[in-house]
Order: sequence, then C-alpha cells, then structure tokens
Amino acid sequence: MWTTQIVRGPSNFDYNDLISGKIPALIIPDVLSKSICASLSNKILNLNSITSIPRISKKIGTSISSHIYKKSKYFSNAKISNQSLKNIFSENDSPIDVMQQTISKVFEKQMFTANENGMTYSYAMIRIHEHGDSIHLHRDNSNFEMSEYGISDLNNQLSAILYLQSPFHGGKLTIYDKMWNKNDEQMRCPEFGYSSDLIKNTSQKKIPPITGNMVVFNPKLYHKVESVIGIKSRITLGFFFGEMSKNYFCSWT
Amino acid sequence: MVDIIWGTVTKIISINSFEMKVSHQKDTNGDSYQDIEEIHFTEIDIPSIPVDESSRDVSQIEQNLKDKFVKCEISGRNSENRLVCAVSHSGAGGY
Repeated sequence: MWTTQIVRGPSNFDYNDLISGKIPALIIPDVLSKSICASLSNKILNLNSITSIPRISKKIGTSISSHIYKKSKYFSNAKISNQSLKNIFSENDSPIDVMQQTISKVFEKQMFTANENGMTYSYAMIRIHEHGDSIHLHRDNSNFEMSEYGISDLNNQLSAILYLQSPFHGGKLTIYDKMWNKNDEQMRCPEFGYSSDLIKNTSQKKIPPITGNMVVFNPKLYHKVESVIGIKSRITLGFFFGEMSKNYFCSWT
Repeated sequence: MVDIIWGTVTKIISINSFEMKVSHQKDTNGDSYQDIEEIHFTEIDIPSIPVDESSRDVSQIEQNLKDKFVKCEISGRNSENRLVCAVSHSGAGGY
C-alpha cells in the first residue's frame, strides 16, 4: 500500500524511498505547537491592520515559477518579500528557521537559503486558501523550465509544507503515484498545471492539513489541493529544497 | 484579436523556426490549425535566445525550446506554409 511515513527523528526513514516516490510523503508531526500556529495565523490574517506590508493577493513570498524568464525581477521581488517575512516572524523563533532546523535534524544535513551571485532567493511562501479555493493538478520540480536559475541544477529536490491553520473542511493535499516526465508537457493546461487525464486510475494519498504538522514530498509527483470549505482559511508556509552537496541542502521558493 | 495556439515544441528546424504539436487553440480563433504546425517566430520572450538572429545557433534554440510548452500568437502564414508567430512561454507547470 502506498502510504505516508510519520517521522520524528533521523533514523526511521529511507531518504531514497522519498526521492524515488516509493512513499508519497513524510509527515513530521508537531513541528510547531497549535498555540504558536494560531498566533502566527492571526498575525498573518491581520497583516494589513498591524503593519504596512501589502498582502500580495493570497500569498506572501516570491516564486520562481512566476518569474521563469524574469530573473532580475525575481531577485528584486524576493528581497522585498524576504523583508516582509522577517517583519512577520520575529527573529528568534521564525517558523522558517524551525522548518529548516527540523529538516536538518531529520535528514542529517545542514540547510541554508539558496543564493546566487550575492542575491538571496525567496525564503519561503505563505499561502492563504479561502472558502472555495483549490489548486489544480501540478508538479513543482524546477529542473526543466527554470534553467535560468542556479537551483535548477540541484539534485533530489523536495517540497516542505508546514500547516499553520487548518480549514474547517477540505484543503487536503492529494499526491498521486505518478512522476512528471517531459513528455507530459503535451498535457499542460495553458495557464497552470496539467490535464487530470494524466492521473486517471493512479494510486493517490490524501493528506489532511493538520495544524503544526510538516509534510515533505517529492514535488515531481503530481499533486493538487482540494477545495477549502468554510470560513476558516487554510494557511501554509512552504519552500523547496535540494542537495547542494552530500552534507548540505539549500532552500528557495 | 490575433489567433493563439499552445503546444509543445517537437523539433527545431532553424534559428527561427520549429515544429510544434498543437494541444490547445483559443476558442475564438478565426482559423483552425493542424495538430502539427511549423512555426516561424519573429519574437520570443526567452532571454537566452538572442534577439539578433546572427548571434543564434540551432543548438542554443534546441536547449531553450525543445519539449517546452509555448504560446504562439499568430500573425499569418509565410511562403513556406509556416505560421508567423510571436512566441512566449505559457503559464507554469507548478509553483
């Protein structure tokens, strides 16, 4: 049975199983307490009233995929959004640092945010999904069309998502037992993602968005987010990371 | 309104033309297009493909376009029956 693995320390999982897609995801429970998550979510949702940081639609952070051929714009936007993230999260207990430290401990590799020619990649992305929001079928590995960026060369890219707030219903992450390959580009949707025909009759694993849990999975596996139902938003903090060398990971969004 | 088609680049023909497998056509297109079309591109939004054609080579075009999903805004057909287009990348496969 294709199922997730719960990990609490470095010794009880096989890194290769995660990379190969033999397991859909690792779940690391209670990375942050529910009370800290509630406090951070409250701060994020009230951002306009407590700071002058603009809410960028329903996300805070900068993504490479929005800047595939606009690299200098990406880095200038990343500089702004990194400052916004610093302002939201206090320096001593930033959840981004907590995520990086947890991954370092579990995977037994050091981790830092990627940089290129003295410019720092976007630290992380906060996404807020409200009632009715969903994310269509997609994959996130950056080593095909993001070749303008240094991180596209990193091996074994993974995705890390921390749930800061669970919705009342829905918002599950569904991961399919199918890895992207470049022939699948023929099944692209013009604006975003891929045709659902790609994952017909494919095994899937649904992961509920439990506050405080972190999910790590291979973003080359097709995945989607089901519709959020109810007035409570689904709030996540996420980044990608890959192997810089045997002992080092670096992260970006 | 110009006609627009989308699809994947299957073969590079020259420094300014390629073959494309058409997967999507805009609903309001004035013409319909074959499943396979040859494209002559007059503009492209990929910075690593030089605007100056004398600075391009086929391997460079291949590296940047082969198998990629692109959007073609059509301005007509040329004497070689190729669609004359402004080509750009289209959306994203993910985040």
